[in-house]
Amino acid sequence: MILAVLLPFIIAIFIPFLSKWKDKFHTGIVVTLVPLVIFTYFARFLGTDFEPVTRSYRWIPSLDMNMVFHLDGLSLLFVMLISGIGTLVAFYSIYYLHKSEKLGHFYVYFLIFMGSMLGVVLSDNIYVLYSFWEFTSLSSFLLIGYWNHKHGSRYGALKSMLITVFGGLSLLGALVFMHTITGTTSIQEMIANNEAILNHEFFPLILSLLLLGAFTKSAQFPFHIWLPDAMEAPTPVSAYLHSATMVKAGIFLVARFSPMMSASDWYFIIVSSFGIVTLCWGSYMAVRQTDLKGILAFSTISQLGMIMAMIGFGTKVAIFAAVFHILNHATFKGSLFMIAGIVDHETGTRDIRKLGGLMNYLPMTATLAMFGVFSMAGFPLPFLNGFYSKEMFFNASLDLSATEGIAAFLTSAIPYLAVFGSIFTFVYSMYFFFGTFRGKANIDQLPKKPHEAPVGMLISPAVLVLLVVAIGLFPFIINEPFISHAASAVYGGEAMKEIYFWHGFNLPFIMSLTVIAFGTILALTIPRWKTVYNFVPGVLSMNKVYDFTVDKSVVFSSKVNKSYMTGSLALYMKLILITIVGVSFTLFFMTGGFALELSNLAPVTTIEIIVALTMAIAAFGTIFTNNRIAAILILGVVGYGLAMLFIIYRAPDLALTQLIVETVTVALFLLVFYHLPNLTDRGETGRGKLINWLVSIGFGLLITTVAISSHSSKWFDVISSYFVDNSYKLGGGDNIVNVILVDMRGLDTLFEIAVLGLAAMAIYSLIKIKNKKEE
Amino acid sequence: MSNLAVLPIALPFLAGIIVAFFHKKLVAARIFALIATVIHLAVTIMILLQVNGNGSYVLELGNWKAPYGIVLVADPLSALLVMTTAIIGVAAVIYAPKSLSKIQEEFYFYSFFFLLISGVSGAFLTGDLFNLFVFFEVLLMASYGLIVLGNGKAQLRESLKYILINLFSSMLFVTTIAFLYSVVGTVNMAQAAERVGEVEQQGILTTIAILLFFVFATKAAVFPLYYWLPNSYTVPNAVVSALFGALLTKVGVYSILRTFTLIFNHEVPLTHTLFIYLAIFTMIFGVIGALSTNNVKLIIAYNIIPAVGFMLMGIGIFTETAIAGSIYYLVHDMIIKAVLFLLIGAIIYAAGTSDLNKMGGMIHHFPVLGWMFFLSTLVLAGIPPFSGFIGKLLLIQGGLEQEEILVVLAALISSLGILFSMIRIFIKGFWGEPDIMKIPEQKPSMSLMVWPIGLLLTLSVVLGVGAEWFYPSIESIAQYVMNPEIYIESVLKE
Amino acid sequence: MEIIMSVLAGILFMTGVYNLLQKQLLRIVIGTALVSHGAHLTILTMGKLKDGAPPILTEGVENYTDPLPQALILTSIVISFGVTSLLLVLAYRASKINHTDNMDQLRGNDYE
Repeated sequence: MILAVLLPFIIAIFIPFLSKWKDKFHTGIVVTLVPLVIFTYFARFLGTDFEPVTRSYRWIPSLDMNMVFHLDGLSLLFVMLISGIGTLVAFYSIYYLHKSEKLGHFYVYFLIFMGSMLGVVLSDNIYVLYSFWEFTSLSSFLLIGYWNHKHGSRYGALKSMLITVFGGLSLLGALVFMHTITGTTSIQEMIANNEAILNHEFFPLILSLLLLGAFTKSAQFPFHIWLPDAMEAPTPVSAYLHSATMVKAGIFLVARFSPMMSASDWYFIIVSSFGIVTLCWGSYMAVRQTDLKGILAFSTISQLGMIMAMIGFGTKVAIFAAVFHILNHATFKGSLFMIAGIVDHETGTRDIRKLGGLMNYLPMTATLAMFGVFSMAGFPLPFLNGFYSKEMFFNASLDLSATEGIAAFLTSAIPYLAVFGSIFTFVYSMYFFFGTFRGKANIDQLPKKPHEAPVGMLISPAVLVLLVVAIGLFPFIINEPFISHAASAVYGGEAMKEIYFWHGFNLPFIMSLTVIAFGTILALTIPRWKTVYNFVPGVLSMNKVYDFTVDKSVVFSSKVNKSYMTGSLALYMKLILITIVGVSFTLFFMTGGFALELSNLAPVTTIEIIVALTMAIAAFGTIFTNNRIAAILILGVVGYGLAMLFIIYRAPDLALTQLIVETVTVALFLLVFYHLPNLTDRGETGRGKLINWLVSIGFGLLITTVAISSHSSKWFDVISSYFVDNSYKLGGGDNIVNVILVDMRGLDTLFEIAVLGLAAMAIYSLIKIKNKKEE
Repeated sequence: MSNLAVLPIALPFLAGIIVAFFHKKLVAARIFALIATVIHLAVTIMILLQVNGNGSYVLELGNWKAPYGIVLVADPLSALLVMTTAIIGVAAVIYAPKSLSKIQEEFYFYSFFFLLISGVSGAFLTGDLFNLFVFFEVLLMASYGLIVLGNGKAQLRESLKYILINLFSSMLFVTTIAFLYSVVGTVNMAQAAERVGEVEQQGILTTIAILLFFVFATKAAVFPLYYWLPNSYTVPNAVVSALFGALLTKVGVYSILRTFTLIFNHEVPLTHTLFIYLAIFTMIFGVIGALSTNNVKLIIAYNIIPAVGFMLMGIGIFTETAIAGSIYYLVHDMIIKAVLFLLIGAIIYAAGTSDLNKMGGMIHHFPVLGWMFFLSTLVLAGIPPFSGFIGKLLLIQGGLEQEEILVVLAALISSLGILFSMIRIFIKGFWGEPDIMKIPEQKPSMSLMVWPIGLLLTLSVVLGVGAEWFYPSIESIAQYVMNPEIYIESVLKE
Repeated sequence: MEIIMSVLAGILFMTGVYNLLQKQLLRIVIGTALVSHGAHLTILTMGKLKDGAPPILTEGVENYTDPLPQALILTSIVISFGVTSLLLVLAYRASKINHTDNMDQLRGNDYE
């Protein structure tokens, strides 16, 4: 099974080599075989006696990250979709993409996507699932950006990536959380142990994070906005990723975790309300679109909402209908996307305002489209699969029971919303079909003269339409060996077995009739009520929110960043110092750091006081003088004062060094600043001056208090007695400081010299390398 | 055998001195540098293997027994970091000739480079606080030499700020060492750790600890002390930026990790909670910085900061899982930051500009650069199964186990921000119409730039996909770090 | 006496920092010098002051001042000297090339 998942990746590696023979045969031919092989491999598992299969392969066992593939009914459904539709789409793309395009790139992304998607639906290990999940987002990014010379492509690619990766990261948060709670990385084991998660205090957070991942991926309102922009991708990609497979990954995820979470009320409330709102919003917005693929994109959003809502209902009927509709949607929507691609390919435009009357020019395409559209609309005919799942949806929406709180309110509202959404579904379906294929033809307006598509291009949509009809006529054929397994995997128990066309003249059927009646009226009068879009959504669209967020995040960052990254050293220093002083003093008082021990102090003598006072005055003097020579000399006073202190405190070597260093430094100072402007007034404003003083005093105070406290906390003997004892014995020297420097801590001294050497080299190159601008 | 521990310091030190004697003979210097770095790498690999097999090496220099003399401690953590440093060294030496001008190479680039490596290795290896200060000064001084190399206008301007802030923090460093010496009477880290563990009343120690933290945090570029970093990492040559980005801030992170697991582990609720909050702000402000500019090199420089936040997060959470995450992230970040700076250097070299608005469609001319950049973006953003993910995963796990929700959310959000800031470069620079750029007819040969990048990038991919080969040893390092008595015993031999 | 020395060190740090916050390069460099002096004085104070003879072994003397801080200070003085000299030359070069010794004008967003 691992081979089936990795096969696309392996083939992807070899695709670039195929481009050599690009002129002889289309790369797509090779690529079509890949999903076909996978399809036949997994088709073996179909059958009424299907039992889940698990295969595991070691990857990173120490992190509990292993390639564990669990093939149950749900995975099988998705695997069949991915490989089946994948074959058709790959085949279709041979005719759609010309050889002059960068086919290598396209098919590499395509295969990476296919492999990742298989990985997502098969993985039982949460981290492996997450890895594949992110890869579907990335390959989608690359595919949307395939024609990246177009601005729309780049925009759409970035948008889809940001939104889906955002979801992916929140999914990661949820997965890690569940891992830490249950101690396992296997989804099946987590489901078995769901009590621990349901009762955890952070369950609401986990649920929201998980659903955020699912909703962004499956384009649920209000995260749906990336999907319409993703239509910039080549049409095979839209048909494959953005209608049949990738966008269903979110649905898959919710379905996968449904047995674990459905016991929670919040699960029902959140999932169904998001689903139903998405259904209504998507179908309502679809009528507003003018781009054929735009209509289909919003239609997909709406249908995904419907499936999501049904999974949220969680009843036996609803789950069955959801799973059934996943398949049905893939068939009719896949074919419609391909048809939109054909129309685009043959006429040069997808703008429905320019199209019309194509029935006469593309009769085959139109026929196929008719089946797809009416199935999508849920028209009550026994050979359209869309009707079955639509009818079950109505049925399920009436079948909910909740007695209190938000759930009860939702239960009573759902049937009405379901009808509302379905009316608009009907309207946009008719709008799509009649706007394109019926009405007056404006052949002159089209960029290309339309004619029927080549046969090869029609095969794939034809196969899908055939499936639409076949499922419609003989639903039981696919039910027992296929759909019911998937449904029971989600529901966690025995699934429905029968699908009927005629349920009798009951409430769901009346709902269907209502939909058709109102739908027809609305479809005929579209131009009259279209102004409603000026009010809802009007200027308030989620796109604006996204654009605002993305643009503003850049602008806001620049602004925030500029406010402190000014390039001003003084500001940086001030911020750093305020932090150090503030935090250190806070901790100092919190931990009772202050200590004062007077017993071990050295006696105070006059000479020291005089030296110290001189130094202090001189130190202040450097601030107040406005003469550079004076400032440097005053600094020298501090340095020599320090040398004096070294003498007083019995450190002859230090005093000597300090004297020399100070002298050289002062000389250097004079040398350098002789060439620079004289000191000027500091030009400080009153407030700036105050802050500078406060910061400096704060820091000085910090040093003094910590110094006093440290000195008062001498809790241990210093290690120095060893040096005194062994200086002569082991080090062979009387001057202990010297012995320490050259022997005991010789490494310090060696590298101290290295520092000097480095400084010399740096200075040398500073002086030697001439800057162009100077000359 | 414990004498081996001095080699990672001594070899580059000697190499740096030797190469100074023929600094104008570039061919010889290049070959010499390459040989020296390769030998250095071999030695560090050997040390790592030995240390993992036989336990830490403790070298008492001059045979002055600890804690009186200086000790070098090659334990699994420092050996690992020293080896990573050596790897980056090799890549930098291969890349350098193409990237530097002749005059830059002649004026002691290789000497500065080797002493930088020597100082960094020393900082990782030393077991003595004051000696750590000395090695800090060595690597800083070498970095001063490197940052001014070439004397560009902007270079001098920014290096002035860089040196001043570092000088200040160095002085605070020695002052803090003095405070600590007064309280515990030693500068040996193991002994200090032992003594700090013995006192009951912590008193002034926490304040000293936090001062030391600020010293290291300034080097590590933790919020709110990172202001010096972005510009000063942007002005020097790409290879220098790569060394800085890969090594310098990481020395700061390492020092925080070392001191706050070994010595100051007494006030965990206080100090480490502070770290968690600082980590949150570091991530957020780093990402804000990365989104704020159109200068590609500056974007990379800003991306150093959130990474530091990630590592600090692990130290703050302070469990074995989280520390393992920090260490994994540390190694990953050293490599990927080197990759990114070298790569961006090559991109600027190819594009002739560092302004994102002036780039476009480069993928048509430089597909290799483009895809390497895309891949390293994924690695940096922590997309699985690459190396950034493993570290991030461990950190998030650690965080959630301790129910530190806020920092985990910040980590997740900033991952998105990192990805956004990087993918902008890809979309704007590599995608789109190539018209707006003037690409010379004769494309410059860049294989010497591409190879070292490819090598490092492969390594960081392997570090993720092949995590099984590395994680167990990182886990044992984390275990070791969380049990400081092992370190103390190995040094003081009681 | 240590307390007075601690206060003096504090004053050196304070005036040093105040100078560091100025705009003119000379003042800033003077600031760094003051801060280094403060740091060295602190190290010395943190060993015990005047607690014995100078650390040069002399017959008949049992009690010496702590030699280790002195060794550390020595190393530190030399290092600060190196950094300060580099800083001085750099300050000179930077101000010549950028035509200003005002730190506040040493900003910009060009990175050539």
